[in-house]
Amino acid sequence: MDFLKKYMYPLLTGIGILAALLVFSLNVPRNREANIIERSVLSVLSPLLRPVSRISGFIEDVWDGYIRLVDTHRENLRLREDIRSLNLRILEENEALLANQRLERLLDMKKGVKEPTIAATVIGEDVTSWFRTLVINRGSSSGIREGMAVISADGVIGQTVKVSSSASRVLLLTDHASGISATIQRSRARGVVKGKGEMLCTLEFTTREEDVKVGDTVITSGIGGVFPKGFPIGEVTMVKRGEYGIFQTVSIRPAANLPHLEEVLVVQRGGYE
Amino acid sequence: MSRRTALLFICLVIASIVIQVSLIPVFVRPPFKPDLLLVIMVYLALRESFEVGAPLAWLLGMLDDVCSGLYLGLNAATFLISFLVIKSFSDRLYADSAILFVLTVAGVTLAGLTLNLLLMVMFTSTPGIAYSMLSDVFPRLLVNAFIASIVAAFPGFDCQLESS
Repeated sequence: MDFLKKYMYPLLTGIGILAALLVFSLNVPRNREANIIERSVLSVLSPLLRPVSRISGFIEDVWDGYIRLVDTHRENLRLREDIRSLNLRILEENEALLANQRLERLLDMKKGVKEPTIAATVIGEDVTSWFRTLVINRGSSSGIREGMAVISADGVIGQTVKVSSSASRVLLLTDHASGISATIQRSRARGVVKGKGEMLCTLEFTTREEDVKVGDTVITSGIGGVFPKGFPIGEVTMVKRGEYGIFQTVSIRPAANLPHLEEVLVVQRGGYE
Repeated sequence: MSRRTALLFICLVIASIVIQVSLIPVFVRPPFKPDLLLVIMVYLALRESFEVGAPLAWLLGMLDDVCSGLYLGLNAATFLISFLVIKSFSDRLYADSAILFVLTVAGVTLAGLTLNLLLMVMFTSTPGIAYSMLSDVFPRLLVNAFIASIVAAFPGFDCQLESS
């Protein structure tokens, strides 16, 4: 008895461990089946678990939907600001990309010009609608003089007419006062391109016998000394030969997109003081 | 004209030029460009004295010419003539009237265009400009009248200019 009293706890512990191992070992082969203990416990607890789980769900909703949203308004504002700044950045990057493409084309054009050129940006337009002029951000301090040719990546724009130290006015080829000596690229027929107002020009002094067709490219002839030879001016859109008269009527659409010009090149050739 | 009015006037003219040269062409097609300096000139002709208004009208025209076309002095002459004509009868009219202001701007737009055309036909070689000018008459008239009506709607329009 003394022995039992003395070693009761270790014996009970050992028996307990053995019983636990026995239960474990007996259940190992049937580990996917619920035994009587499991079934009983689950049966007893399941009616209790359902409402408790609902309560805990409710508490979770309250926590996530209200308590954790204390800073959401502030975060929302911050995120909106982030979106705005990111959108702005995307716009700036797109603008830079487009500017890069335009400048690349301008650079290609520049490579084709033997004379030195000055790049300029369009900063203004004519205040009236019946004259066609532009204002560029380069003037006499950059070496520009009146009577210099102005071109873009697509073709001829016009020539400088009024030059100040930091800005110049460019007379567009569509202005009524503009005249550029030109040649039809295909047939080498000659004439003078005169402005006709908004987005239109005509090729004048081309005799009826000259070969001019719709779609022909009109280029500068180089005569007159303002424009270097071979720059595209535009495309023939209409040819009309009357029954009488010496000349034919030829309409031209300018090659350059005149209403949306941004960067131009001023060819440093000729000009007058 | 007091110093404060003169300063305001200069700021207004500069702002008008900047808007007309750089801002409006981006958003508005050429026939619908308003002539803000013409509106200012008409305002001067209806409100300001002859001694101050006449040189200012000429200067406004010169500024218009600097920002437009090839012919310096064309609009200056037109503005001055228009000013003198308006001034000759403005004393007999109720110059504070908004309707009168709008109608005068519309009338001066037409008269100015006719004078410009006449001067260019007489003194310059710009064949075909008449077609461009005449095709723009109606939109230009409407736009200028619209701008005049906006100006007339400003609070304080019916107040007289300060005189020194």
